[in-house]
Amino acid sequence: MSTEQQKGAQRVFVTGVGVVSPIGFGRVEFGRGLVAGKSGVAPIQLFDTHGLDRDLACEVKDFRPRDFLTAAEARRTGRCSAMAVAAARMAVEDAAISAADLGGPRTSVILGTTMGEANVLGELEAAWIHDGEASVEQSALPRYGTTLLPIHVARAFGARGMVQTLPAACAAGNYAIGYATDQIRAGRADVVLTGASEVIEKLQFAGFCRLGAIAPELCRPFDQGRQGLMCGEGAAILVLESEASVVRRGATVLAEIGGYGLACDAHHITRPHPEGSGSAHAMRRAIATSGLRPDDIDYVNAHGTGTSANDKVEAKVLRDVFENRQPAVTSVKSMIGHCMGAASAIEAVSCVLTLQDGVIPPTMNYVTPDPECEVDLVANRPRSAKVRIALNNALAFGGYDAVVAFAQPGVLPPIPDPSQIDPGFVSAPAAL
Amino acid sequence: MRLAITGLGVVSPFGVTRSAWQDALSGSDDAARANAFRASEVVEGARTAEVWGFDPNEVLGPKGHRSFDRLTKYLIAAAKHALEDAGLKHDGAFVGPLTSEQLGICSATAYGSLDAITELNRVAELEAPRYINPARFPNTVINAAAGYVSIWEDLRAPNTTIVDGNCGALDAVLTAATHLHHRRGDGFLVGGGEVISEPLYRALAKLGVLSMDGKPGVEMGEGASYVVVERPDQAAARGARVLGEFVGYGTAFEPPESEALLVHASQESTERAVGQALAEAGVDASDVDVVVAARCGLAEMDRAEDQGLKAALGEDVAVVGLKRVHGETFGAAGAFGIAAALAWMNGVPVGSLVRGRAPQEVRHVVISTVGFYGNCSAVVLRRGG
Repeated sequence: MSTEQQKGAQRVFVTGVGVVSPIGFGRVEFGRGLVAGKSGVAPIQLFDTHGLDRDLACEVKDFRPRDFLTAAEARRTGRCSAMAVAAARMAVEDAAISAADLGGPRTSVILGTTMGEANVLGELEAAWIHDGEASVEQSALPRYGTTLLPIHVARAFGARGMVQTLPAACAAGNYAIGYATDQIRAGRADVVLTGASEVIEKLQFAGFCRLGAIAPELCRPFDQGRQGLMCGEGAAILVLESEASVVRRGATVLAEIGGYGLACDAHHITRPHPEGSGSAHAMRRAIATSGLRPDDIDYVNAHGTGTSANDKVEAKVLRDVFENRQPAVTSVKSMIGHCMGAASAIEAVSCVLTLQDGVIPPTMNYVTPDPECEVDLVANRPRSAKVRIALNNALAFGGYDAVVAFAQPGVLPPIPDPSQIDPGFVSAPAAL
Repeated sequence: MRLAITGLGVVSPFGVTRSAWQDALSGSDDAARANAFRASEVVEGARTAEVWGFDPNEVLGPKGHRSFDRLTKYLIAAAKHALEDAGLKHDGAFVGPLTSEQLGICSATAYGSLDAITELNRVAELEAPRYINPARFPNTVINAAAGYVSIWEDLRAPNTTIVDGNCGALDAVLTAATHLHHRRGDGFLVGGGEVISEPLYRALAKLGVLSMDGKPGVEMGEGASYVVVERPDQAAARGARVLGEFVGYGTAFEPPESEALLVHASQESTERAVGQALAEAGVDASDVDVVVAARCGLAEMDRAEDQGLKAALGEDVAVVGLKRVHGETFGAAGAFGIAAALAWMNGVPVGSLVRGRAPQEVRHVVISTVGFYGNCSAVVLRRGG
């Protein structure tokens, strides 16, 4: 490991968070729900589940866009973008950042999602399929489009820099947070509003039912009796700022972003690589690019979907990466479900709260240990612990692996020079 | 920014090879246009520029792609050709010094696999959701198409899908530059793809965006294009042929003044994106030989872009409107702009001029992409060698 500093690279801090989740809105309510082990599971109300064999999910209840959005914004947006704008408003308020500091070309918006405004598309297509083209409302068409997700957020705050969506399936939140960090490090932005948003939609739910991936009653990550995931939805936005911006406006810092790691399994479109090689690579890179060693990691917010394949492979990877000193592990999907593209963004907020409050949220519904999933699981009750460094794991459709490191302010070493870090290409020839 | 371009793969209405693309650009615009735009095989009664006669079995072999949608097949074909063109693969096997773990993808699309989603929605709506084909369900995820490319070509460095309307393929250049800087990989496919689908065509027609009944507007095209990018020192060390270099990138967003509006033609965002790209490249506006403009066929959008280009580059620079020849490819538009720029840098004469005079020699090209909402991105390419 090298401690040689990356010249000119900016440190990146989290100065505000906003959440729309199945167990509460905003940093305080969401945090309370996590620590209390609150369940977001309930019968689905968004669509008819007749004939699908499953009818439970973690929906966001009582989300009224007009509580957070202007009338014009509410007219323009679908549920996915509306939740993103709402979470962004909470995050901006949390960061106490002024319109003047936020507006202009030095602020970017980089968001993740899996399917974007899937419910808008579903409704438009249902009208078209059943009643023909004339029945499709012209005014509803512009609400669809993955491109629009960050644009709605940028418009809400006058951001005029980069506006990008990174659809990386269930790793999208981490992809966005990582790339946002890259932009600030490289001096291309001072502030980035980043995170992700996702809605539960009929076709998506039916697809997971057809894959046999949905649990009948409860999501039990790492439990021997786990029967699958529980679909969730929501949005989380983080305000990321350069050190210079933080100092200039005297901002309160919630956490620092360390490094992050990406890999692609290139194995199967829905199943993880059985050896977890990509996942392990991403974790090791997140640690190394933070200037840390595995022993420095106190806590891992696991991807932990509650499916047989994911949890088994992820537990193996945790044992491989951390060997004898296992960090505490939790899957909050046991409470909020699998919020797909938004999952790792919401869970990033959970990591920030753990760093702040010193409480690791529980993995609920854990009954029977699985010898294949042996990790230091924080089961059923929260655990008080001094957590200085947390890793946020995300694995996704397409074999995407993305891991982001979060740290208490002042804990991380100087930002390592990328050219001094072992890229970890096992089979790379020495000549290059 | 300095990224060496060492390979190109293009799947276009002119064919599935780089040479088919270059041959089409070498001839007259009218001939290329007549070849590209025909009666649609996807949308009844429409005239579009589709990838005519695409046979996946020819490119991908007879097996293993039954559940792939068209976007996935186009992307795989473009990726395969680009990797072979770069001398990194031959007959499906890695032959260069770069291995599976060192190669990744930065791929753009605006609408992704919309046709695949519609196909499943038809089953869900007309039969029942429980009858949807689970093998085709992953296609509903926007990044699935690029994910399949990684699997098919065994590329294990990061795979990033980018959505930024019509600008994504140029944004992918910065994504790759960032990944290379951080050594997340040592080579990346950069570009994107888009397909014509009935829901997209019908929606754009209903919104009055398309050129129909003699009214000017967007003419839809499709296809996929990737370049292989590497660090210049690495390309030199492995003796790779360098087709060109990316030397600058810029992006900007300008919202409309009215809260009630969504679509926005912004002069300022083009001016800012191009200005940033030039500044990063250290290239003076007077050194730019030709601009591949977005020019989508919508008068207000095209006027705003042109004013932005004039403000950033002056009145005299040669500007090309490529979409007249092969159609609007949305998220892939920047990738086709790159493919055209590389053709010109390597001997194909500049055509499809909108204004200015075709340069005899092309050393610097600016590519401009314009989204429908005030978002713009631009890159500067420099001739290799």
